[in-house]
Amino acid sequence: MSFLTGLLRLRRGPWEMLATILIALGVVMLMQPFALALFTWSFPVTLVGTVMFIITSHFPE
Amino acid sequence: MSFSITDPSRRQKWIAGILVVTYAIVTLLPLVWIIATGFKTPPDSIAYPPKVFFSPSLEGYVNLFTSRSRVTPEDLAALGPPATWYDAIVRQYDMVITGPSRYGERFLNSVIIGFGSTFLSVFLGTIAAYAFSRFKVPLKDDLLFFILSTRMMPPIAVAIPIFLMYRQLGLNDTHLGMILLYTAVNLSLSVWLLKGFIDEIPIEYEEAALIDGYTRFQAFYKVVLPQAATGIASTAIFCLIFAWNEYAFAVLLTSGDAQTAPPFIPTIIGTGGKDWPAVAAGATLFLVPIMVFTILLRKHLLRGITFGAVRK
Amino acid sequence: MSDPMAHRIAAATPPALAHRIRGLSDRAIAWVFVAPTIFLLLAVNIFPLIWTIRLSLTDFRTNRPNNPVKFVGIENYRKILTDADTWLSLQATAHFLIWTIVLQVVIGFALAYLINKKFRGNDLWTTLIVLPMMLSPAVVGNFWTFLYQPQIGLFNYVIAFFTGADPSSFSMIGEVGLAPWAIVIVDTWMWTPFVMLICLAGLRSIPPSIYEAAECDRASKWRQFWTITIPMVLPFLMLAVLFRGIENFKMFDLVVQLTGGGPGATTQLVSIDLKREAFEKWRTGYASAYAVILFVTVFGLASIYVKALNKVKDR
Repeated sequence: MSFLTGLLRLRRGPWEMLATILIALGVVMLMQPFALALFTWSFPVTLVGTVMFIITSHFPE
Repeated sequence: MSFSITDPSRRQKWIAGILVVTYAIVTLLPLVWIIATGFKTPPDSIAYPPKVFFSPSLEGYVNLFTSRSRVTPEDLAALGPPATWYDAIVRQYDMVITGPSRYGERFLNSVIIGFGSTFLSVFLGTIAAYAFSRFKVPLKDDLLFFILSTRMMPPIAVAIPIFLMYRQLGLNDTHLGMILLYTAVNLSLSVWLLKGFIDEIPIEYEEAALIDGYTRFQAFYKVVLPQAATGIASTAIFCLIFAWNEYAFAVLLTSGDAQTAPPFIPTIIGTGGKDWPAVAAGATLFLVPIMVFTILLRKHLLRGITFGAVRK
Repeated sequence: MSDPMAHRIAAATPPALAHRIRGLSDRAIAWVFVAPTIFLLLAVNIFPLIWTIRLSLTDFRTNRPNNPVKFVGIENYRKILTDADTWLSLQATAHFLIWTIVLQVVIGFALAYLINKKFRGNDLWTTLIVLPMMLSPAVVGNFWTFLYQPQIGLFNYVIAFFTGADPSSFSMIGEVGLAPWAIVIVDTWMWTPFVMLICLAGLRSIPPSIYEAAECDRASKWRQFWTITIPMVLPFLMLAVLFRGIENFKMFDLVVQLTGGGPGATTQLVSIDLKREAFEKWRTGYASAYAVILFVTVFGLASIYVKALNKVKDR
């Protein structure tokens, strides 16, 4: 619950967490051996996560 | 020395010691094998079963430093007795030395590029680290992250535009080009490591110096630098090790004049199959300085490999 | 020096004023000191990066500089991300990445745990164990091809000695089934000491008083290990895993010397694949897009790494 309110109030912690999860997800999609479609969409996911990380690391604590 | 209930028992220490020593011996075996192979003759190096005991020979080193060509026995007889001990070794195989090999040049290139880039990156790194440590630099955290992230980039990916850029500037296969490139890569390490070392010097030293009438620059030069000397020395060794070992940029951006040893050593071949003793001799001369440095550095090793984040 | 007199004077003098009178102001010195570093990194990193991004949207080929360069939009990216061979390279990288990390963490942590028992001479042995990690991966990788030779290679001989197999019956770098493991073995040999050193730092950062308190509460050794040792070392372990992950994601020198990506494409890691596209096929535009994908991935991982770094630093 505090995670959601953190997101709404643009706090750094939860947003960074979200960005980290996106980056990790993108990396897993990039290298998984199961579906080509996941591989195709991995780069956009990582890109969004990385950009989000750069922006949100400037949010207040 | 105080003993507490949580100290490991004598028996635990023994078991731990035996296991670690066993691992160390196994892990050092390939290194010992490199050094030993350098002193074998070519037939000994490829014997089955692998020879642990052998009569040492300097053939590998002679082959490493010379280029040779085969001559007929009659020509050989006409040459008269060999003038030097290395001539004698080569002539056993109906060969004569025709000149030095490329290894010396490549090794010298490694030394020039290694020391040049180390000097530059430590110099630039020290002043930048001092500024980051003592002054309010705008966007400090972002700059520090940016500096670190340049280190993480895959060298092959970086080499694509560098290759094109260097071709335009005429820096391909030059010492200057490689020194600048290695300096840029090493700056991240030197800034981060040195910032850690300078952070540890109490700021009161400089303040006292400033009160005594030193300018900021004098305070940096006469107070901070001597205090940071060990830190600077170990940072320099880390930078040197990186430049010394680097392969990806070297193999893509150099081919002749400025080629360093790592891309060269694997290309050493003999007559009729790979000359493993010569390869091993080249590798030994190249690796042993780093082993010595590692032993000298052991107290700062952890800092170096974690960019100064983990101190002890 | 915490000379109280100097302290008092320092506190009494308005520092900014004092410095401005003599020599450059602090702000000017900060700029002069940081500028060369930033300038060099802009020239050697950022400018080429922007150039790469621009090239990645074209069909430029380095070996045909006179051809007209066509803007192709995200076509290169679409091609790479739907290419089954590229996908295979990333899977080969994943195999390499996962197994090296698992092995290095298990062996590295075990070694650190044993060294932390502080037996006599542990410093000496730690230094010796660390040696392989500092050496040139290309030179060492090249020599390992000798150790991996069937029949005459030391590795095959030792394996044969312990298993009774014929040392010429298998070739670690020549067989499709074994080559991916050959590179895992050499990387583990080389980099386990790295994980070990970081774990050792983690273990040494645990104050003994915590164990003493647990001992008083009659917690079993097993319980202490899982509730104290592991959680306290975990941030350090994260650091080691991320760092090795990033390094092995872009692995080039060691593997290119060991196997050159073969046999077939079984050990063709992304960096080797990228090198082929960029410097053998000279498809510069395509390779640039490939490079940008790797850049973004590594940059994302690096930001997580720095977060982990700061977490450890606070300890």
